Amino acid sequence: MMRYMMSLLAALMLWALPAIAQNSGPLRIEITEGVIEPMPYAVPDFVGESATATEMGRNLSRVIASDLSGTGLFREIPAQAHISRITSFESPVQYADWRAVKAQALITGAVSVDGSGRLVVKFRIYDVFAGQELGNGLQFVGTQDGWRRIAHKVADQVYARITGEGGYFDSRVVYVAESGPKDQRAKRLAIMDYDGANVQYLTDSSSLVLAPRFSPSGDRVLYTSYETGFPRIYVLDVASVGRRVLPTMDGTMSFAPRFAPDGRTVVYSLTQGGNTDLYRMDIGSGASTRLTNAPSIETAPSYSPDGRQIVFESDRSGTPQLYIMAAGGGEARRISFGQGRYGTPVWSPRGDLIAFTKQSKGRFHIGVMRTDGSEERLLTASFLDEGPTWAPNGRVIMFTRETQGAQGQARLYSVDISGRNLKQVQTNGGASDPSWGPLQN
Amino acid sequence: MPAGPRLTGRAARGATGVNTGQIISGVGHLALIGWALIGGVFQSAPPPFEVVQATAISEEEFAAIMDRQSAPDAVADVDTPEPPAPGEAAPSLSSEADTPPEAAQPDASAIPPPDPAPDVSQITPPAPAEVEDAPPVMEVPQEDTAVMVPEVSPRPQPRPAPRVAPEAVARPEPDVRVDDVASPEVTPDEGAESAEEPSEATAPEEAATEIVTEAEEPAQAAPSASVRPRSRPARPAATAEAEPEETPQPETTTEPETPATDQSAVNDALAAALGQAQQSSQAPSGPPLTGGEKDALRVAVQRCWNVGSLSSEALRTTVVVGVQMAESGRPEIGSIRMLSASGGGDAAAKQAFEAARRAIIRCGNDGFDLPVEKYDHWRDIEMTFNPENMRIK
Repeated sequence: MMRYMMSLLAALMLWALPAIAQNSGPLRIEITEGVIEPMPYAVPDFVGESATATEMGRNLSRVIASDLSGTGLFREIPAQAHISRITSFESPVQYADWRAVKAQALITGAVSVDGSGRLVVKFRIYDVFAGQELGNGLQFVGTQDGWRRIAHKVADQVYARITGEGGYFDSRVVYVAESGPKDQRAKRLAIMDYDGANVQYLTDSSSLVLAPRFSPSGDRVLYTSYETGFPRIYVLDVASVGRRVLPTMDGTMSFAPRFAPDGRTVVYSLTQGGNTDLYRMDIGSGASTRLTNAPSIETAPSYSPDGRQIVFESDRSGTPQLYIMAAGGGEARRISFGQGRYGTPVWSPRGDLIAFTKQSKGRFHIGVMRTDGSEERLLTASFLDEGPTWAPNGRVIMFTRETQGAQGQARLYSVDISGRNLKQVQTNGGASDPSWGPLQN
Repeated sequence: MPAGPRLTGRAARGATGVNTGQIISGVGHLALIGWALIGGVFQSAPPPFEVVQATAISEEEFAAIMDRQSAPDAVADVDTPEPPAPGEAAPSLSSEADTPPEAAQPDASAIPPPDPAPDVSQITPPAPAEVEDAPPVMEVPQEDTAVMVPEVSPRPQPRPAPRVAPEAVARPEPDVRVDDVASPEVTPDEGAESAEEPSEATAPEEAATEIVTEAEEPAQAAPSASVRPRSRPARPAATAEAEPEETPQPETTTEPETPATDQSAVNDALAAALGQAQQSSQAPSGPPLTGGEKDALRVAVQRCWNVGSLSSEALRTTVVVGVQMAESGRPEIGSIRMLSASGGGDAAAKQAFEAARRAIIRCGNDGFDLPVEKYDHWRDIEMTFNPENMRIK
């Protein structure tokens, strides 16, 4: 009996060996839960080397703060709470003062005007608690009129260095500007900065225009116009505002165009004899290729970022649902199976998600799902939400929200793909059908 | 046997008894209905009177009121619009609207060209900060030295602890003999082969004559380090009986009768286990951190681990961060380093590490609540930051 007891004791000791050895190494813990809250940061007014530059420095810091705080990922520590004052761009940073106000990131900058009248903006980003600079400082040189673009570019750099993904502040949105009562609404194409500034109108309001879509490089816009009484697709050059109608067959209606990632091909819907199918057109030659051939309605096509697949909307199952097929056509597979009606799918620039409009139980939603239809998440809910478009970094979605009633008006809203930070985009009057362009060079 | 349904005896009795019961029931119901009708059960109480205030008016006043309420005079002549002239032709509708439109275009020159892209260039890093974060050390003025205050205050003498009783009372006869080592009573077993020496049971004292409260206990009452396991004892060349030499046993304890072969096997196993555990000369001594102490540290760090600003790829990246701790419980900022990363690219790992570093520094700024006596165990910490539960779902 004693022999067995001793053997058992020895076995236990051998079994406990790893635990004993564990005590000799560093203490190991695993953190699996954290917090999700905006990161506090401070962006004091950029130091100006002249009176004009000082004023410009203040404006620059305000636009940068608006960009960063507008994402919902950052929270500005107001200037009234600052202990340290940045009076020189080259002065060392008093980290303790910024730690005292709970700032985790600090952005400092300086503004000057060079001999040729151009604006020179320098900036640095600091990790306050680590007590070191995040990356190297950068300098932007541009025209004084383009100071907002410089501010957006600074904010893009800050966003990228802290979050690890590209920004979207130096980008533009083309949309349909609306005015007038609901039963007599005038619509025209307009283009603006992503934050609603610098609005420019591309067409007049003499005819109905719909669904503008930016080209991948942002230099052209596809849209549908009823100038002839029938819907026709036009391509418009943003710089010259020149435009031309894409060729089409007589007795047909073409609409819902969207560029392929190569910028040379357009996929669109064409209605002929009461049936609507998807077609692909080479813009240069005007040659079209039929992609679907079904008695149902196929519309709202959108390319994947690699250009190999197309997601579209079809009612071949009885209700509008989302399908994916190869870019050259062929068998399509259904990816939406939830209750309700799905429409206007748009592939994310990252390629991992598809945004869509969903109508269910009398309400409209903007949602996202994986490209295989899994992990569907509804981000919004209202009387009428529709027409999502992705920010260049695939993190934010802009869409149209229309309020109920005779006085109802369409407005642009944006929401993070997490469902947080839903907010209205400031526009002059009504706005609908947004299309988010790429980051500008 | 006649065809057709047959009533059982019970059913037949029921058939004859129904007539009498129906008569009694019918009479009763008629009486109840009659009472309800005559007794006024269905008659509701009359509604209360409504009291309306009225005012007496004269005939002239009545006539004036009637004049105001009279209908306006109808107008016989009404202007009616003239019908449209039949000669105007309706606008013709044409479906040939396929010609290129000539819609008014906005003037291209009116639209300002987009702002030119600014030039980008790197700037030289700033000069290293010459100002330290540490607060300045104030020099003590010599002339202001207080002479009234002794340089070293006399150490307060501990007050005598209260006694349980002013005088020690006579102790009762103990059941066991007081000894430093507890040993059971040994009595000879008649069935045993080897006779054992009978001895008295011993035990240490269970009570003290003085009351020492928790606050008065010395801070280092608990041993700061546990006794390190002794190294393997030298194996005797040839022993008939193994007698433990390290722990002195009282005379009354019995000697083990375990065969030498079993004991040596156990010693081998123990030595193998302990020998490997003691390979590192830096092995911390003392008891390790308890699960509660580890949990407290984990909660303190995760309270500052903000992943809200991380990219999707960084949220798929698990990083292992090493940090050296000061005895005050504060992390040595310069020692924080990324040991490994998995699940994302280099850029995502960098962002994930920076978020982890911020968490350690922010919440360790005032020192983590860690037991000082176990400092050897948390001098070096490896923290694994796994954001799996924090991803967008």
